[in-house]
Amino acid sequence: MTQDVTVPPIAPPPESALRDERRADRLDRIVGTVQRQGALAVLVLVAAIGFAAFPNFRSLANAETILISAAPLALIALGMTFVIITGGIDLSVGSLYVLGGVVAAYASQWGVLAAFLAPLLLCGAFGVVNGVLVAYTRMAPFIVTLAALLGARGLMRALSNEGSETYLVRSEAFRAFGSGEFLGLAYPVWLALALFAGGAVLLGRTRFGASVYAIGGSEDAARLMGVAVRRTQVNVYVLSGLLAGLAGAVNAARLGSGVTVIGVGVELDAIAAVVIGGTLLTGGAGTVAGTIAGVLLLGVIQNLINQVGSVNISWQQVISGAFLAVVVVVQTYLTRLRRIQ
Amino acid sequence: MSAMRGRWIPVVATAGAAVLLLSACAKEEESPGAGAAPSAGAGQVVQSGAPDGPTCSLDQMGYTKIDLKTAKVGFSQSEKEANPFRIAETQSIKDEAAKQGITQLTLTNANSQFTKQISDVEQMIDSGVQLLVVAPLNSDGWDSVFAKAKAKKVPIITIDRKINATPCTDYLTFIGSDFEEQGKRAADKMAEALGNKGSVAILLGSPGNNVTTLRTKGFKDQIAKIAPDVKIVFEQTGQFSREEGQKVSEQMLQANPDIAGIYAENDEMALGAVTALKGAGKSAGDVKIVSIDGTRGAVQGIVDGWLHSVIESNPRFGPLAFETATKFFNGEPVAQDIIISDREYTEANAKTDVANAY
Repeated sequence: MTQDVTVPPIAPPPESALRDERRADRLDRIVGTVQRQGALAVLVLVAAIGFAAFPNFRSLANAETILISAAPLALIALGMTFVIITGGIDLSVGSLYVLGGVVAAYASQWGVLAAFLAPLLLCGAFGVVNGVLVAYTRMAPFIVTLAALLGARGLMRALSNEGSETYLVRSEAFRAFGSGEFLGLAYPVWLALALFAGGAVLLGRTRFGASVYAIGGSEDAARLMGVAVRRTQVNVYVLSGLLAGLAGAVNAARLGSGVTVIGVGVELDAIAAVVIGGTLLTGGAGTVAGTIAGVLLLGVIQNLINQVGSVNISWQQVISGAFLAVVVVVQTYLTRLRRIQ
Repeated sequence: MSAMRGRWIPVVATAGAAVLLLSACAKEEESPGAGAAPSAGAGQVVQSGAPDGPTCSLDQMGYTKIDLKTAKVGFSQSEKEANPFRIAETQSIKDEAAKQGITQLTLTNANSQFTKQISDVEQMIDSGVQLLVVAPLNSDGWDSVFAKAKAKKVPIITIDRKINATPCTDYLTFIGSDFEEQGKRAADKMAEALGNKGSVAILLGSPGNNVTTLRTKGFKDQIAKIAPDVKIVFEQTGQFSREEGQKVSEQMLQANPDIAGIYAENDEMALGAVTALKGAGKSAGDVKIVSIDGTRGAVQGIVDGWLHSVIESNPRFGPLAFETATKFFNGEPVAQDIIISDREYTEANAKTDVANAY
């Protein structure tokens, strides 16, 4: 914050020096972008390697499979991004995902609208409970949402006769949403893209988004600045619940039934995708674009492992784990470097 | 300048990570672990389904003839190869493919994550496999896979668990055991072991698939029919896993210390129950355990006196699966439901036949 009082007269630099400076500037900007979008850089690199090494990875169909498989996780991770930026965590999303799918398949007998609304209402209600408990009783989000994880999975079991009853999707329109395409991309992929665009605007350009960042930076400071901390906290958990329920509905439409054996550990995948995308687990910083890169990175890694064909599943997990560790280390390093600069 | 150097470190580290990933990927899968007895045990014998039931042929499905030897074949395993049944199943597919001279076999494993199995199979279809053998994790939820497979005319043979769909339209055929019959036979053994009276606990398999449903139905129906004084006092899922089986058995023993018999819907859960019984201070034979699968650990359990009997569920699907595929691609009709016959292990044959178990 010091200011130079006396400015020594500077001779105009020679032309060549100016050009060098401009080049250095451009390099700086590129390096800066890579640092901000570390996950994207790694994603491009990994995809390039896949492109070069595996002919089957290059096909358009394969890219579509990666996108459609990633769509539900992308929706869940979008909600998780908001929660984590406020400094919270939502462990209930995996259970809400499977619950949403079961409810959507059951409700599809009353039409496509019911198939979307029922899971949104139910999972949104779980989000309200999560948010109210976190915001008003000041209990740790970890515990509150862990309770919701257990509760939602229990409810799913109760609705599906201990998981043994799989409801089939009765609405043709709902089924068509899961299997149809528009301009070469599946509807769920378009939905995810649209919601991410909306999410980016919400987070980056609105008062709500600013509040989310402020709470994650420092809750007390945010309160002193006049941010509606509690209301914002309730809203992010509701958003997360809604998106998890929607992800369940999308998946049910695609599979044609409310499968009861999915969703275990999905919350951890979502958290991993968000963190890989550059969002700080401690809150206060992160972007929606980074989360997309994180989700796709997880999908591409899985796809590449399958391309090899016969890696033992235990080793696959070792590889995925090691890779995540490396990405997070690189991520952290990039962030620190930026701060030093 | 040091800042400049610092900037390149992450790039190098990232490239390093990629190299690590690739080199790790390049390693072929090792033999999937101890306990597997490749093709040493008895192969599967078809019990029914040949000429009497409905059949399916190349013409009926409208698919084209290919030579299996040069074809790309994909196998999707549902659970990780920790359970001997899965080890033996995957090994059998690999062995038979090698025997048939199939060089392009792709293996995937869903690690009990159903959405992963769906994307695994879809990815294999994208990559141009011409035959799919699938061990489904769940019996429902295959719509997107079938749509894709039909578009590319890839026949799907499901093994061990059935998919709730139409054979010869959605998939080619199912090869597996008669699970209801297995449950009935287990009930016969249980009734015999208990002298037709006493309380019994059921360790259910994981929900959502026909194996659990039918093994439960067969057992309950048969008990009600032949031994109405045998009361089923407890049933809970042990998820087909040893740890869960042990945990559930421990809880069950707390509530029902005088339990007379345990019906475990697979061997892993039965072995978990044995650990729980040991922990509760019971000795071998106090509680009669009947289970299904025929893994070596369980058959050894009969020899040791902890298990009463085991109904076999043969996991060696390789020969029958490829034989069926060969017939299909030759234009011959194949059965839409191929049921294999299963043996059983009791005190009488456990010692001599333990080497046959997988």
